[in-house]
Amino acid sequence: MKAAIFEYARADSVAQACSLLAEYGADAKLIAGGQSLVPMMAMRLARPAWLIDVNRIAELKSSRRDGADWVTGAALRQADVERDGEAARAVPLIRQGLYWVGHVQTKNRGTVGGSLVQADPAAELPLVAQTLGARFVLRRTAGERTVSASEFFQAPMMTATEPDECLAEVRWPVWQGERIGSAFDELSIRHGDYAIVAACAQVEVDSAGRCVRAVLGIGGAAAVPVSVEAIARSLQGTQLEDAAIDAAVESIGQYLDPGSDVHATAEYRVHLARVLAARVLRQARANAAGGGRGSRA
Amino acid sequence: MAEKTSPYGFRYIGAKRRTKEDPRFVTGRGRYAADVQLPGMLHVAIVASPYPSARIKSIQAAEALALPGVRCVLTGAELCAAIDALYVGVDAPKVKRYPLADGLVRYAGEWVAAVVAETRAIAEDAVELIEVDYEPLPHLVDPEEAAKPGAVLVHPEHGTNVLYHRKFVWGAVDEAFDKADHRLAFRARWGRSATVPIETFVAVAQWDAGNEILDIWASIQMPKFPDQVARALRLPGNAVRVHFDIDVGGSYGVKRGIKHTLLVSYLAMKLKAPVRFLEDRLENMRGGDMHGPDRIFDMQVAFDHDGTLRAWKIKALDDVGAYAGRSPLQLGKPVSAICGPYRIPAVEYEPTSVMTHKTPQEAVRGFGQSPTNFAMELTIDRVARHLGMDRLELRRKNLIRKEEFPYRIPSGTTYDSGDYHTVLDKALKAADYAELVRRRDEARRAGRLAGIGVSTCLEPSGGNSSFEPLFNPKNETTTWMDSCLVRVDLNGAITGVFGTSSSGQGHQTLVSTVVGEVLERDPSGIRVIAADSLNALPSNSPVGSRMAIMLGGAAAGAARKIRDTLVRIGAHNLGLAVSAVTYRDGDVFDTLHPEKRLAWDQLVDVAHRKFHKMPPDLEPGLQAKFVWEVPTGGTLPTEDGQVQMYPCYSFETHVVYVEVDPDTGKPVLQRYVVGHDCGVMINPDIVHGMTYGGVAHGVGAALYEKFAFSEEGQLLSGTFMDYLIPSALEVPEISIVDHCTPSPLTTFGQKGSGEAGYLGGPAAIACAINDALDPIGTAIAETPMSHLGLWSLIRAARAKPKMKDAA
Repeated sequence: MKAAIFEYARADSVAQACSLLAEYGADAKLIAGGQSLVPMMAMRLARPAWLIDVNRIAELKSSRRDGADWVTGAALRQADVERDGEAARAVPLIRQGLYWVGHVQTKNRGTVGGSLVQADPAAELPLVAQTLGARFVLRRTAGERTVSASEFFQAPMMTATEPDECLAEVRWPVWQGERIGSAFDELSIRHGDYAIVAACAQVEVDSAGRCVRAVLGIGGAAAVPVSVEAIARSLQGTQLEDAAIDAAVESIGQYLDPGSDVHATAEYRVHLARVLAARVLRQARANAAGGGRGSRA
Repeated sequence: MAEKTSPYGFRYIGAKRRTKEDPRFVTGRGRYAADVQLPGMLHVAIVASPYPSARIKSIQAAEALALPGVRCVLTGAELCAAIDALYVGVDAPKVKRYPLADGLVRYAGEWVAAVVAETRAIAEDAVELIEVDYEPLPHLVDPEEAAKPGAVLVHPEHGTNVLYHRKFVWGAVDEAFDKADHRLAFRARWGRSATVPIETFVAVAQWDAGNEILDIWASIQMPKFPDQVARALRLPGNAVRVHFDIDVGGSYGVKRGIKHTLLVSYLAMKLKAPVRFLEDRLENMRGGDMHGPDRIFDMQVAFDHDGTLRAWKIKALDDVGAYAGRSPLQLGKPVSAICGPYRIPAVEYEPTSVMTHKTPQEAVRGFGQSPTNFAMELTIDRVARHLGMDRLELRRKNLIRKEEFPYRIPSGTTYDSGDYHTVLDKALKAADYAELVRRRDEARRAGRLAGIGVSTCLEPSGGNSSFEPLFNPKNETTTWMDSCLVRVDLNGAITGVFGTSSSGQGHQTLVSTVVGEVLERDPSGIRVIAADSLNALPSNSPVGSRMAIMLGGAAAGAARKIRDTLVRIGAHNLGLAVSAVTYRDGDVFDTLHPEKRLAWDQLVDVAHRKFHKMPPDLEPGLQAKFVWEVPTGGTLPTEDGQVQMYPCYSFETHVVYVEVDPDTGKPVLQRYVVGHDCGVMINPDIVHGMTYGGVAHGVGAALYEKFAFSEEGQLLSGTFMDYLIPSALEVPEISIVDHCTPSPLTTFGQKGSGEAGYLGGPAAIACAINDALDPIGTAIAETPMSHLGLWSLIRAARAKPKMKDAA
């Protein structure tokens, strides 16, 4: 498990990282925390000719409110984001999702952007991004573009990021309102493993407890995380009562396309999606009713 | 740190004292095989077979050899001609095994060629440049298919895939089955798991051309390792020097590493340079030959209305993978405890060891005992369920009573001592069993699946490996000695010397405690070292939970000789008979006039420098060796397969509370108590540490770990992404309750404990899960009890009409 030979360059700015990417393109990989890339390189499943280190780029570590968005720099450590109370108040699902990610040690190194561009279909942060409709700011020497989560996640381990682009920041929509609740839950065999299936939801209810807005997402059950908009929409106007939730999630399988492996069959994954979807919706409802935005699933 | 005094009335034995080894490990000062850095050392990487069964047509290495830094590409054709085949534990001489495949590959991951280069990275680069042309051949993954006549043969020369098969009948089994009120039969499956130490196999070899000695540093835990290396390399035994003074980073049975060692040894001699192979995790999981037992048990039991067990029949089919080694013998150790802790007068045991195209099996903690305990305990619970009898009542009825020891079981072994009922009661009390029942019933009323499991299991200990002659009549080994040398230097410092490796068992703490006890000197000042194999007294290595008994006994024996010498020197210089003096704290004095004395330093001074003051028939200096045969050892099996195996029998009972999420199948262990009796504990921290580790290992085997193979013969769980070892978040808090029934056979009453926790854990967890599943009318009898497996059972049970209502 020794990586194939590669060259290393450290970028001090996004511009410099982009110019290195422009030069080496498909032969180069950006490295931040390295929690996925380094093991893949060690097993020679990834063999970039160039590694461009973005760990020291200050502009990739911003964390701020910007209009209707919460913005996280791509190179922010997962642990720092998880501990950031302001981020958790703005977008509770980020912390709720990060609870399930790896272990303290991996979160101390792993970055938000790294997890998102890795785009494992069972990973937590991509699921939160897909569910909330986060937007991704991609920079290259020639300029910048912003893509939606639904465009960003293209296939397992594949995103819309072009070889000469660097993910600079992620813009997470902040829901405004009094009664908003969210929840994240998953089944993983051990804590910290990639989920067999993960689910998250965020809902807003009015003063009568009626659902006025809802999103629901499922990870680990398709090539990319799935925002199950039809189900979420069908809950609008309900009281999010158990029967309504159970009825809504019954058909969830038709939005998924899970695979089978040594730990789970496709059938088990669909079942889990249904169970976990119902659980997160109930928990989100409870959190919304309590006015608590940040409580853990 | 305050020392707690010994509960057994000893001075040091049993007292809570800091171990010798921990400060070294905790501060990162261990020295492992990978820390051995020799000038000019070369590194090995492996070319592994992608096919489970194939003929090697050609190997093209020219491109690899042209890579700068590459020194050699070794293939099986060269190596197999130059060395002898590895040892086979049963009578199957045509099942040849070498470090590298020659001609045929028999499992995916088998080593086909070794690349030697100046760095491991270059060696890996070169591996990618080697082209092997294979002709794929039919393969087998199903052990039951493999055992059938006409099956594809893994070793065609052997003529069958069966390595070993015998039906043992001890007592009137058929009669008992005829006469019993009830009979039950079921199948249990123990999945292929292992121990997966953090340190993979490491071997370093250097040929000392001047002295013509092969020096070896290897992460090993293996009986007769230096002897096997020398034989295979066709060297005299005194030309191989294995350095035991390195730390082994975990083993629990698997660290045999003989093929790794032979490979680097041959390369070191060929290339005249030190060679190291530090296996990476991928090589380790697939081709390290360290998978554990993989068994199908067909259990039958005969019993009466009142719960009296009359007989059982155990059929065990074990899939050892592509080669033999010692693995078939893992069906042999259970013979030593074939009726568990129960009074079962008649037993039939039919072990079959079969080969398939999978990674070979190696010894795993308990050497086949934990799977057998698992099958036995499932049987006991099934009997209870069948009779509608309480599981604890059934156990209490059939457990051997303390006054019945020594107790001879039908297979010819005598259990030394025990008090199973008391240990069970202590564990239940510690677990607050009544409260657990209340909690379970409340959970059930709330619609949850909750269960309690209790196991009562034995740990045969002391490592009398009489399964070797039992399973191979050509092998007449009955000697299973261990040894210790104790020296007192001319400055009065004490050194204990043992002659084998240590993979975390705490040999240094053991020897220093025992020697300190006998000589009445503070163990913290006693140094303990491992001799290399050319300097070592004979040892059978720390396998089979034997070192507290065997090395402990040897150290005590040597220390007693030193003490006797000191007494004689003291008496001689006091002008008294030996019977008139007393030895205390290292001094010798006139019993009637204690002021007349020779202190430790004076006694040592006489021994080392004042021959004129020595008693006439003593040799100068202060050193003593003690080599002793395992208690009860020394006999061969009888014709009908009766044999005295292990001398000592430790007992453990586990009480487990589990809840299973009915919607996801996820099991969560919420309470875990172990009652444990391994006689006198030399060092309680070490025993408890081993037990915690053993429980964690058992949790892994029970719920998570499996080397799964596809129909195509490919390992599906070859990394830690898929081979799931429980982390601290999956292992519950564990409470251990000690009990002490001393062994009458050992020096201080100690028994073995190296496998504790693992031997009763999977059984108890399975019993707990079955208790949880019982209300919905289903049960599980296989490991690992995966989330998917449990969910599938629950779903199937819910789809059926309710069995309980129908009944």
